[in-house]
This record gives sequence, structure tokens and C-alpha cells, in this order.
Amino acid sequence: MAEIIAAIDEGGASDLLSDAIAAMPPVASSGSGSLGPFTAGYSVQGHFTSGSVDLIAPSTVRIDHLHFDWHIDLSFQIDLDDFLPTFCIPQACVDIPCVGRVCTPRICLSWPTISVSVPLDDFAEASADFGINVSLAGGNWKVQIVVQNVSQLQFGLTTAAVLGLIAVAVTPILLLIPFIGPFIAIAVDAIIATIGIAGLTGFLGPIISPFISGLKIPVYDQPKHFKVLPASGPNDPDVFIELDSVSADVQHSNEDELVLSVDISP
Amino acid sequence: MSLTDSAEVFGSIHETALNDMLHAFFSARPRYLRYGSQAFAPTTTVNETSISAIPFPGIPGGIDWQVTFQIPGVDLFKQSQALPAGLTLGPGQFSLHTTVELCVNCVQRRDDRGNTGTKDRRGHHLDQVTCTKLGVFGIGHIDSWNNSNGDGAVRLRVDTVELVDITPDALETVLECIIKMILDAVLSQIELPLKALRAGAFQLVVTNGPEIDDDRIKVFGNV
Amino acid sequence: MYLNSDALDSRALRYADCYGQRFMREGTFHYHVMPNGAQDVNLERPYTINVSQRKRSGKMTQHSVALQWKNHEFIPDNQKIDVEVGDLVVWNCSDRNAPPYEIAGEKEFFASARMLNECGFSHAFGVPGTYEWGDAHGSDVAGIVHVEELTCESRSDLSRWRAQLSKAALVMIADGAAKPTEVRIVVGQTVYFAIVTSKGMTITDKRLIGIGVVCPPKTSKPAAKRKKGRPAA
Repeated sequence: MAEIIAAIDEGGASDLLSDAIAAMPPVASSGSGSLGPFTAGYSVQGHFTSGSVDLIAPSTVRIDHLHFDWHIDLSFQIDLDDFLPTFCIPQACVDIPCVGRVCTPRICLSWPTISVSVPLDDFAEASADFGINVSLAGGNWKVQIVVQNVSQLQFGLTTAAVLGLIAVAVTPILLLIPFIGPFIAIAVDAIIATIGIAGLTGFLGPIISPFISGLKIPVYDQPKHFKVLPASGPNDPDVFIELDSVSADVQHSNEDELVLSVDISP
Repeated sequence: MSLTDSAEVFGSIHETALNDMLHAFFSARPRYLRYGSQAFAPTTTVNETSISAIPFPGIPGGIDWQVTFQIPGVDLFKQSQALPAGLTLGPGQFSLHTTVELCVNCVQRRDDRGNTGTKDRRGHHLDQVTCTKLGVFGIGHIDSWNNSNGDGAVRLRVDTVELVDITPDALETVLECIIKMILDAVLSQIELPLKALRAGAFQLVVTNGPEIDDDRIKVFGNV
Repeated sequence: MYLNSDALDSRALRYADCYGQRFMREGTFHYHVMPNGAQDVNLERPYTINVSQRKRSGKMTQHSVALQWKNHEFIPDNQKIDVEVGDLVVWNCSDRNAPPYEIAGEKEFFASARMLNECGFSHAFGVPGTYEWGDAHGSDVAGIVHVEELTCESRSDLSRWRAQLSKAALVMIADGAAKPTEVRIVVGQTVYFAIVTSKGMTITDKRLIGIGVVCPPKTSKPAAKRKKGRPAA
């Protein structure tokens, strides 16, 4: 049996991990991906909130309803010519007194390419199985739980709702385009249908998933040269011990506990 | 039976680790093992603690003396180390074994009335140091404090001391009394933080303990 | 980019604008089509209108010139046109990506940036709103165009709207006044401003009048000569 043993049950582990996750800085990334037929640039940031913890012997920490609140700024370009046929202002004529009939030519217009920026806020939830990783790095013993398996991501908003938000973002941009007014509904419907549900989930999934699949939650972080007592005067220097080994596992008895074992030397 | 029992968090230190910790403490701060009056320890340093000489009328400067302990070895209930007859390690108790060296500066006064040519040697100079080493066994309990912030500490308190093979019994009793007082005073100065006893793992607010059981100091609490 | 602009300004013709000029005398009239403001930068006038004596009596004939924006140049589909006295020539470049432009003739009467007599400017209004227009050259000629929003919820709505687009509204300008001063159209419809007489004017959204400096102020000093070997600041 180890010289020093610390154990925490599932309830305590829930609180511990909740605090640990809350103390983690927000995560962020940016890049580009395929949003249906569009290449969309994105900048995403988010933070985690822990869910309920299930300790599974010998070495699994499962967090159900691991919650990830995220905000994404999407930007992409839409070539409206892909959605609307060429529009022609028909020949328009006026009769000018004493001069005669004057007509403008039929003017056929191509549609422009527009830049769309869409801010989206939502959350994703998943159940994740974490393994336990113990390392001695930089003179510190670290115990982290590291994601091994993640269940299917569940987004808070329905995909249709997110598409609706995109439609809301696109509409005012379209309104600025001359002559599109009467076609706005057609254009928005066409754009949203083109992105489609598959396009959206195929876009958001690969952006959000890495945050969860790469999640490491610190459980223990102490220097190997461990200070038992701080100095308290010229004749009472610091007192240190050495943490020679650290291990961690989940033990099952009449309840499941995350157990940390430490051997020390003076 | 789970480690945490009805609590959320459990921390424990085995007696070997406790002894490692005491070893680390006394190695870093040996002055807590060595106490001497001015002739032995003119000033307090990291290696020794200066104490007063034992005052006595007619002995200029008092009786210089020194007490030196070896780093004590602690055995937490259940008993692992043999104890002399008369000492029993009960639940919740620890035993300890150490050696104490008592030294006195045996000064010969030279202030006879006719001896005017020789001045009396006043002040604290080692003259003829006489020492004795005694094996010490003791029984004690732990004393602790903690608060709702999760801070807390443990210290060892000595309840009984047994010196072996000293006669007459009355002398043994007197010495045991003195050694017990000194040893308790020494150990009670050392507060080992609860955090250190669990190597910094899992912050807890104590709900039960610290207590001695199964060769360990155990503490229970909530996050 | 010139994509989303729907500015009402005859000085800077855009894809939904036309400039028309009647030629009332015989002769050869050279002109150029350039990004607006460039008439004094480029003095070449490579394209030609030959105006001959009127052979037929009756109403004037309209000639349309379609412009292409290619390799940073406006190219007329017909670079030399033969017309008769009294005929109208109308220019349009329907390329949404083309920059605003002007038609610049050699003669004073023949310039889209300063329309004089017997000319016209049309603008199809693509964005709903109220457009107060005036003359950037400072006359009091002014008016208002109300462009109403239109939502087409059915195919028949769209058909009705398309039919409306064929009907342009006419504003006649003569003797320093516009008539009518206010017109009301739906989005997409065209207003034709027919200038019978003027002292040289523009049809310009009042919000655009006074914006931009054409020439540097006369009081500005020439840049100081740099000393030899000294790097520019």
C-alpha cells in the first residue's frame, strides 16, 4: 500500500472536476471548412462545464453531459449567380412630348458575390470517457484525465434553428443589393437549402469535436520537490520531501473512488 | 469498504511516510532536536536552539545544560514496534522511540576565601561536560486543527514516557517526567499541514479526523 | 468593387443607368467613354457619331450603344455610328463589375457629366427608399423619387412586377425646373430624366453633392524639393 493515499468518491470527483474545468481558460481556434458548397472561415471560442461523473474501475472517468458553450464567427462568400438566374430589367419606354418615344435598353444583370458574417452561439453536449494520465514533467507530478472516447455530439440548437440564424444574417446583406428585393425569399431559401442540414453538421462537428476530443482535465499538479512547510525565519528554513512516485486509478469497493497513491522520501 | 466511507474525500499517511516527513523536518531544522544553554549554544541557529541555564543561587550563570534528541521513530496504531513493559499502544495512539542525551557543564568553583590568586571563572565556558544517553519510549496522541477553508495541521503530543533500566525507580520517574515534558514540548512545536499529509491531493474540508488507525493518520472530509 | 452601388448620379453612370443625347446639327462628333472624372485626364476621343442631314421627316430615331468593360476600358459595340439630325443615341454598360463611367464628347453639349440640352439620363432604382435629387453644378433643379418596396410572394406577384418594370416614369427638365418634381415608383422601375434645356446640370442624389474634391485647392503649395541623397519621409 502506498505511503500516502488520497481518495475521492464520485460526488467529490464531480465537484473536483467541475472546479477544475471551470478554472480552465477558454479554448479557441480558427480556420476554414466546407459549409455545404461554401468555404467558410471561422473563429470559434468556448468553454466547458462539467457534467455528472461516473468513476469506472480500473481507470475510466466518465463525464455525462459534458457541456461546451461555444461562440463562432462564420464568414463566407456567396456568389448569388449560383442561386438566382440573371435578372433583366426590361426595356422601359417613355413618350417625350415633341420628341417621341425613348426607350432604355433591356439591361440584364448578373448578381454579385456577397460576404456573409454569421455569429452563432450554442452549446454542444457529449458523454466522454477519460483515461488517467500520470506524468512527471518539468519537475512536477501531473495527473490529468484525458479524453479517450466521445459520444455523438448533441448541439443545443436544432440544426434547422442554426440555419434559421444564417438566414437571418444573410437577409440584411441581401437587402442592400439593388433589384434583389422581390427575390429575397427565393434567394434565402436557395442559400439555406444549399447549405442544408448535412452541410451544417458536417461543418460544425469537425470544428467543435476537437475541443472535446483533446480535452485534458488537471486533477493533481504538485512539484516533485514538495514543500511541507515554508520557511518561517532565518533558523527555520523550508522543509521539503521528495514525491518519488505518483499513481492514480479508480478503485471499486462498495463505491467507486478515484485514488491517488504517492510514495515519498525525505 | 471504501476509503472515503461516508465522506467525499479521504487522505492518509502511513507511518513510514510520517517518519520520512519527520526526518525531513529535523534534517532541515535540526535546532528542534538540540537545545543548549549558553555554554553549549550561545545563540539559536538552524542547528541548535539556545535556552537558559538552570539558575541556582551560588552558581554563577546557573547550570549549563544541553538536551539532544535523535530523530524520533513513530509507530502508529496498530503496533509495529516493540515497546517496553508498562507501555501499551492503544487505538488512536502512536508510540515513539528516540534517544536523548543530557549533558551538564560540571563547573568546579574556585572562589575559596583564601584562594585570592585565582579568580572565579564566571561566564559560560565549557569546563567538564558530563553526558548521559538514555533510550526513550513514549506513547502519545495527535492533536489537530482545521477550518472551513480546508486548512489544518496535525501535531504529535506525548502522554507517557518510559526510560528503561534506570534505578532507583524514583530517579526513573523523575527523569521520565522531565523527558516527557521536554519531548512533548519539542514535538508540539511541529505542525504538519494536512495538505502535506496527503501530498497536496484533493482539497478537503475536514468532517472527521485526523485519527490514527491501521498504521496511518487518516482524515475525511468534503470537497 | 462596384457591385452593390445603387447611387443616383449622372456624373457616374452605372449598370442601371443610360445616358442619351440627341444630335441636332450635322457634323462629326468624337467622344470617349471613361471612368468618371477622367475626361480631363484622357483627351483622346476615339469614337465617332456622324450626323448627317435628316432624310426622313417625322419622329427621331433612337440608336443604342452597348458598352463593354474590358481590360480596364469601356468599348462601344459600335464605335462609329451614323445618325441623322435629331436622332437620339443612348449608351449603357450593364456590367455590374464595371466602374462608374462618363461619356465625354469634344463639344460642350455632349457630356454625361454636365448635361446641357436635348439629352437624358435614366436610372433604374434597385433599392427602396426616398431619393432627393439635385444638380451638382448648382442650379435649383431638384426633385424627389419615392421607390416603394415590393415583396413578391407568388408567381403572379412577380409577373405583375415585371410588367410594371416596362413602364418608366418621366421627369421633364426645362427652364430651370423639373416636372413633375416628385414621382412614385416601385423598386426596379426606371425614371427617365429628359433635359430639354439647361445650363449644364446633373441628376445627383443630394447626399452625394459636395462629396469629393475634383481639383486640389489653388492655395496648396507645391511639394518641397527633396535634398539630394536624403530619403523620403
